[in-house]
Amino acid sequence: MRAKEHSAEWVLLLAVLVIATCGLIYELVAGTLASYLLGDSVMQFSTIIGVYLFSMGVGSFLSKYLSGNLLHWFIRIELLVGAVGGFSAAILFLVFPLAASFQVILYSLVGLTGILVGLEIPLLMRILEHKVEFKELVSRVFTFDYIGALLASLIFPLILVPRLGLIRTSLFFGILNIGVGFYLLYFFSAELKKAGLLRVTAVVLLLLELVAFVLSENILRYSETMAYNDQIVYAKSSTYQRIVLTRNKREMRLFLNGNLQFSSADEYRYHEALVHPALSSIDNPKRVLVLGGGDGLAVRELLRYASVEKITLVDLDPEMTRLFRSQSILLKLNGNSLLNPKVKVINSDAFIWLRNNTETFDAVVVDFPDPSGFSIGKLYSTLFYNYLKPALKENGVAVIQSTSPYVAPNSFWCVDETLKSVGFFTKPYHNYVPSFGEWGYIIAVRKNKESWFQHLPSSLRYLNATTLQQMFVFPDDMKAKIKLQPNKLNNQALVHYFEEEWGKFLD
Amino acid sequence: MKRRTFIKLSIAAGSAAAIGLSCKGKRRVKGSVKGASSSIGHLLREQILGEPVSFIKKEVVIVGSGISGLSAARQLHRKGLKDFLMLELEEYAGGNAASGHNEISSFPLGAHYVPIPNPGLQDYLDFLKEEDVITSFDGNGLPVYNEAYLCFDPEERLFINGHWQDGLVPSFGVPETDLKQIAGFLSKMQQFRLEKGSDGKDAFAIPVNNSSTDIQYRKLDEITMKQWMEINGFTSTYLQWYVNYCTRDDFGTCYHECSAWAGIHYFAGRKGVASNATYSDVLTWPEGNGFLVSKLEKAVQQNILTGSLVIGVELKEEKVVVKYLDVAKKEVRAVIAEHCILCVPQFVAARLLKDKNRVEIIKQKFRYTPWMVVNIVTPTLEERSGEVMSWDNVIYNSQSLGYVNATHQLLQQQVPRKNLTYYLPLTSKDPSSARKEASEITHDEWVQLLINDLKIVHPDIEDKMEEVNITLWGHAMAQPLPGMIHGGLRNQLSESIAGKIHFAHTDLAGISIFEEGFYQGINAANKIINYAASV
Ligand SMILES: Cc1cc2nc3c(=O)[nH]c(=O)nc-3n(C[C@H](O)[C@H](O)[C@H](O)COP(=O)(O)OP(=O)(O)OC[C@H]3O[C@@H](n4cnc5c(N)ncnc54)[C@H](O)[C@@H]3O)c2cc1C
Repeated sequence: MRAKEHSAEWVLLLAVLVIATCGLIYELVAGTLASYLLGDSVMQFSTIIGVYLFSMGVGSFLSKYLSGNLLHWFIRIELLVGAVGGFSAAILFLVFPLAASFQVILYSLVGLTGILVGLEIPLLMRILEHKVEFKELVSRVFTFDYIGALLASLIFPLILVPRLGLIRTSLFFGILNIGVGFYLLYFFSAELKKAGLLRVTAVVLLLLELVAFVLSENILRYSETMAYNDQIVYAKSSTYQRIVLTRNKREMRLFLNGNLQFSSADEYRYHEALVHPALSSIDNPKRVLVLGGGDGLAVRELLRYASVEKITLVDLDPEMTRLFRSQSILLKLNGNSLLNPKVKVINSDAFIWLRNNTETFDAVVVDFPDPSGFSIGKLYSTLFYNYLKPALKENGVAVIQSTSPYVAPNSFWCVDETLKSVGFFTKPYHNYVPSFGEWGYIIAVRKNKESWFQHLPSSLRYLNATTLQQMFVFPDDMKAKIKLQPNKLNNQALVHYFEEEWGKFLD
Repeated sequence: MKRRTFIKLSIAAGSAAAIGLSCKGKRRVKGSVKGASSSIGHLLREQILGEPVSFIKKEVVIVGSGISGLSAARQLHRKGLKDFLMLELEEYAGGNAASGHNEISSFPLGAHYVPIPNPGLQDYLDFLKEEDVITSFDGNGLPVYNEAYLCFDPEERLFINGHWQDGLVPSFGVPETDLKQIAGFLSKMQQFRLEKGSDGKDAFAIPVNNSSTDIQYRKLDEITMKQWMEINGFTSTYLQWYVNYCTRDDFGTCYHECSAWAGIHYFAGRKGVASNATYSDVLTWPEGNGFLVSKLEKAVQQNILTGSLVIGVELKEEKVVVKYLDVAKKEVRAVIAEHCILCVPQFVAARLLKDKNRVEIIKQKFRYTPWMVVNIVTPTLEERSGEVMSWDNVIYNSQSLGYVNATHQLLQQQVPRKNLTYYLPLTSKDPSSARKEASEITHDEWVQLLINDLKIVHPDIEDKMEEVNITLWGHAMAQPLPGMIHGGLRNQLSESIAGKIHFAHTDLAGISIFEEGFYQGINAANKIINYAASV
């Protein structure tokens, strides 16, 4: 009997070690995830550690209200920690698109885990209080607690994150938690009466987490994680495309169907160049149309013009515009542009919308993905530009993002050729965007203009009168090598040029 | 028993066995089989219908609202003759060019495209201009086609030697000697395309009746396409497959049965010129030629009486009496008219006229291929290597002609679900047995046939397809057998009767294409207009 008492004590102390490790791991997972997803890691880590420690305090305080079979309680809590903590990373990834409520869920999870872990140490001490001398008890429990903490803080960055990733790390420790609970159930079966339900719960939870663990590995194998160097903070397949946000220490990147759309580090170079040469050439632009550009970054630039009264943004994917209207970190990036009352967001197919449109605009910003396939190639066709023409006022200015004139000169100049073939006058230009390389844009007007760039906003980070002039100079290596066909729906010339040029580049 | 034999003949023996095995326990695919109201048509033969319950008077009655009938109606209307009635047995106009639609898009039930019109077809060009298919004429007077209607790129692909190649002329994995023959054949066709006869007319024109009657071309109508190819040393199996594909595609006739003149016409008839297209380009719409039907029909809609099966046409006291069955009410009615245009196939026209001699001639000389057209609703399918899904997708050595993607001409970015229209001319046996057997095949069996053909290129088609609707065209088109083009029979049958009963149908034109129907209708209408003017 004495031996059994003795080993029971050690089993419980080992449980402390596991619990402490698990608790800290959950906290680290939450902190890391929050800084991946929300940025500002110092802020995230310190608030999460704060909330976690405070909740542990709350848990300790609450422990005095627990009475009856304490061992029973202990195991119950053990299972709960395993469930909440184990699924925490998966839950956080899943709810990230829920936008505003993300933080609420994050801190609730951290708080809950904290409370549960906080309950456990006092409970354990009460269970053991008559079995071990007090000074011994305190010393042993806390020793194991702190050893667990050290263990966690070492294996987390060194082994777990690189090997398992966040979702599986938290699931792994969830399984460990539940495993401990299960073992305790077995070990103390004599003292635990009516533990049937508890046992079933333990088995079900264990199975659930095991399945999630195995599946997450499976999903991982097929997922694009491999394709991106950075941590994926958001990934979702909308009806229209695969939206992936990644982040590393420096920047945040948006990929649509695997193609980089922008990097937060240098997107201002792209968006300033896209918007300002056109807009600064219009006296008092009032109505602006943006086609594509659901990230709201071009709109952010447009809102610098005080005369602008209404911006109509037509983007196919409601998921995109929702993301950029609700996610705090993305809102920071686009300066809440899509929430501005001047901005009207329409989720519709640009081609169909434009065909039915009767409104005219002072400026049109066309910001579609590159013409990498026949579908998107339609949005660069003569027919599309024919529909664009009546949407632009006589004196209006349109600008079209037109891929890289360095990598794909034929493609770039094909867009120019296409615009000219339907009667636009064009002004092609380019600038350097580090994450894209040398990038090209084309201004298109219905009748030739005399004065250009009269109203450039001050306080831009990239554009000024000098850089602006340079953009219109094309060195020889950015000129077309062959006679180009305009891009029509029945030849898709652009898509053919594009495939050839980018194909070669990426080989 | 018969069904079994039919299926076995339609597909390779191996896959037929697979049908037998796989018919059981498979999920049922939604959809139905519809015939071009053959059950109503059969009433015609039985003739147990009573006497008319009502008589009305009209200047002109047009029987049949296919392209020929609609074009005749449009012409009468344009020329100010508005007192006419068009009787159509189906619930909708269009005949072989009818279309359907669902929540995804419209789709053709039969005819699905027209090539760029040949120059000089003024009425046709005018019609296309009116309907904004031609948006303008450029500085050289060349038509500018609406780019929403020119077939988008990628237009055609062929699955051959395990790979989707661009275009339908076999090239991927084809041996050098075959490639040479194919090139030689195509350049010969190009030569025919530009040739003129001793009478100064194009050797191969559209409409066919505008072609030269120079004997050196006329005699091509005396042999089959296969014979012509053999005489000229075109023996490559790849080339022969291609030519056979083409004659089946346009005429529902295998190359060993098709007149060489018609076969060559397929390659040499098109001479369209345009500001923004070439003779090999085509115009198409999600609903196929249903688009042209809706345009032809626009001004004359109130003159069309659908659900009206014409059962007899006779001359009585200088008038034409047209009797028809109101299909819904099961009542016979009559129209008394000055003129009638029969815009129905000749085997129907002969019966309506109750002319035994005519019935007999047609029975002997006209053969009508049955066709099966299938509209498939499916999400994006698994693809084999090579070209991406195109407008026209053909499988080398398949019994079918492949499928056309009806959603290809949609402008929007995302079309997650598609309507694919699959074409199968039933040419593996003589038309009347093929017709009979086809009418006995169940929906499930058709679906299985389709799966066995398409799973080669889309392995997941069986699991993915959501709906399969089958249209059976029992007498889809008259075959241009040798002698049909230049044998004189067509002219004989096209003669008006007593200056009162006129004929217009593509089977009188020799080949079944839109332009022929369009001009058949106009010419018949003009006869009436000229007659009215001369009285
Ligand atoms: C599957 C298929 C695909 C084709 N694809 C093409 C293509 O891509 N391009 C092309 O140019 N051509 C195509 N064709 C050829 C097509 O037949 C012609 O282009 C054209 O549509 C024929 O028109 P029509 O008026 O001469 O004949 P039909 O279309 O045969 O018209 C006859 C009409 O008469 C009606 N009718 C028959 N009997 C009676 C009666 N007793 N009483 C009342 N009404 C009656 C019928 O219902 C029908 O509406 C295709 C044909 C088929 C079958």
